[in-house]
Amino acid sequence: MVTAPPLTPTFLLGLTALAVLTYDSVWPDSTDGSVLTGISVVGSLASLAAAGWFLTAGTGLATDGVSLYADAVVVDGMSLFFTALFAAVTILVSLASFDYFAGKENQGELFGLMLLAATGMSLMASANSLATAFVALELVSLPSYALVAFLKNDRGSSEAGLKYFLIGALSSAIFVFGVSLIYGATGSLLLPDVAAAFESGLGDRVGIAGVGVLMVAGGVAFKAAAVPFHFWAPEAYEGAPAPVSAFLSSASKAAGFALAFRVFVVGFPLGPAASAGIDWALLFQVLAVATMVLGNFAAATQDEVKRMLAYSSIGHAGYVLIGLAALSAEASTNGDVMGAAMAHLFVYGFMNTGAFLFVALAENWGVGRRFEDYNGLGAEKPFAAVAMTAFLFSLAGVPPLGGFFSKLFLFAGAVEAGLWWLVVIAVINSSLSLFYYSRVVRALWFEEGDHDLSGAPTALYAALAVALIGTVVLLPGFGPVIETAQQAATALFA
Amino acid sequence: MVPVEYYLVLSAAVFSIGLFGLLTRENALLFLMSVELMLNAANINFIAFSLQWGNLTGQVMSLFVMGLAAAEVAVGIGIILVLYRNFKDVDVTVPQSMRW
Amino acid sequence: MNPWIAIGALAVVSVGIPVAMMAVSSLLRPSVPEQGKSAVYESGEIPTGTTRIRFNIQYYMVALLFVVFDIETVLIFPWTVIYRPALEGGASMTEVLAPMLVFIGVLVVGLVWAWRQGAVQWVSSPRALEEKTEANQ
Repeated sequence: MVTAPPLTPTFLLGLTALAVLTYDSVWPDSTDGSVLTGISVVGSLASLAAAGWFLTAGTGLATDGVSLYADAVVVDGMSLFFTALFAAVTILVSLASFDYFAGKENQGELFGLMLLAATGMSLMASANSLATAFVALELVSLPSYALVAFLKNDRGSSEAGLKYFLIGALSSAIFVFGVSLIYGATGSLLLPDVAAAFESGLGDRVGIAGVGVLMVAGGVAFKAAAVPFHFWAPEAYEGAPAPVSAFLSSASKAAGFALAFRVFVVGFPLGPAASAGIDWALLFQVLAVATMVLGNFAAATQDEVKRMLAYSSIGHAGYVLIGLAALSAEASTNGDVMGAAMAHLFVYGFMNTGAFLFVALAENWGVGRRFEDYNGLGAEKPFAAVAMTAFLFSLAGVPPLGGFFSKLFLFAGAVEAGLWWLVVIAVINSSLSLFYYSRVVRALWFEEGDHDLSGAPTALYAALAVALIGTVVLLPGFGPVIETAQQAATALFA
Repeated sequence: MVPVEYYLVLSAAVFSIGLFGLLTRENALLFLMSVELMLNAANINFIAFSLQWGNLTGQVMSLFVMGLAAAEVAVGIGIILVLYRNFKDVDVTVPQSMRW
Repeated sequence: MNPWIAIGALAVVSVGIPVAMMAVSSLLRPSVPEQGKSAVYESGEIPTGTTRIRFNIQYYMVALLFVVFDIETVLIFPWTVIYRPALEGGASMTEVLAPMLVFIGVLVVGLVWAWRQGAVQWVSSPRALEEKTEANQ
């Protein structure tokens, strides 16, 4: 029996954003972020709890789902799963922002924008209409542009903001043009109606629909930082304040994939689409290979840690794209492989956020950005270095960390679907990634360094600890995560 | 009634002009104008198809696109302003403190 | 008859009339060149400078707020269209009114926030004052 509205997790995030703005209206000149951090963390925790409760308490939302507002929004297992992820990342990033932005001006804007973006992400995961999808996409993008350019006297930050904005504006224009073509071909923006039109045959409108699908894929690729709209990612992640990079590279990317999963699986069913010549699984196979090869090889040649993480984040987008690439019209493995991709995004949300938060910590200490600058940090700050080591090995997929299991399920699903060649490429890339991640680990532990580090910022440490728990302790708890994800994904194909 | 293909040709032309401007211009403000052209090309489609299908979905969607385009410009000009303060220029090729 | 002929005729006429008017008047009018005619018109004032001046940045904030809130009215229009038919169709007052009140409420939170941040507050900029006094000397 559901007494709360099904969209409660999304509403809570939005209300928290309004609460932050209200607080900032009453005390506009405050530079003390403790209350703002408190509001953000409590609000996101409430949202996380609501999503978790809906998922597990047998409310029926996880299996059946409900559609609201004339089918424009749907709440089901997948949307709740992703909302829980977004809320968790928001908690981590809010905690880290407390120390990172301590004493700076305009903290109200920072937390307000972050929560608004989180609201948009949660809405993206729930969007059942291309109109909702577009509005939610912009609700994520617009605050993100401002967040990247947040340090307004910093040249790198404003340059990163500009580049992110330029490519974002271009890709959202492409996305909306694609949506208009889909509307022209099918006469509706609601995904079930679009699917029905695909199934009953498009006639001579197949050409329009095909171009539309391609353009929608472009818009989604931007959010997920996948080829061909990945150019912004290294710049934006490098120039942005590190907590913002953490937020964008894990939550924003997951939101892009959440949208892609629903729009392509529900809206453009593969069977009729492929027989009409719009075989988008093939498109995603090409994109997956291009994205992971480019991301991993570029990451291997970097000499700044943050930029390396940015390229590795592109590489991970390539792995997750397997979740779409390995789908086929009649296979029973569809739910498994897409669920594995969702679980990988979930684990990635913790380990990648954690890695970027360590970079935030290093920036907070005033340590440089290059690999050499991290030399010897392990001896001086053992806890943070241990956490970073765990995040990096988990990102590389070393057993027995969380990242290993999610990758294992993902690759196994792809092999089952018959895409062994894709898995071979992915495994080669994955072992290459071990090389460049271990460069950081070597710098941390095996090189001599000399630093003058001031203290241990409490909130940043707390965020690191939570991310570490998410990465390491998810390991025995990985069963429920993958089960929930695969159940939610299978429900999408029903 | 004007056949819907004509509108498609018109919107494709407007979209391509926007895309061309976006790829060739170096001034950030002209860049914004090009993006507006592309968004309005989508609006032409929405309204033409709305008439053709006889439902109002497309018209309402075009209102949303207009609203979001305004918001995008507001954020975009803010970022361009910050860029101008830091680099004394609105040329998008000038900021190169990071490798591409 | 092809319906496009009417549109073509309209285009020809709409271009033709202004061109004809300009041509006729240029043939008939006497030519008296005078300096006052070519001067920039500034509502009767004597022009004080070129048009290429720098505006105070604060105009930008006001203009920005105007654009954002002005465009939001676009989203209210569809609601006004369905308001009366929905009430006549049996929807309750709260069902029809509450969503728009929530929408306006969110906008009000944003406006109040911008106000308190000083976005609409006009601070006198030292440079503008300086230029004004220079111009008066």
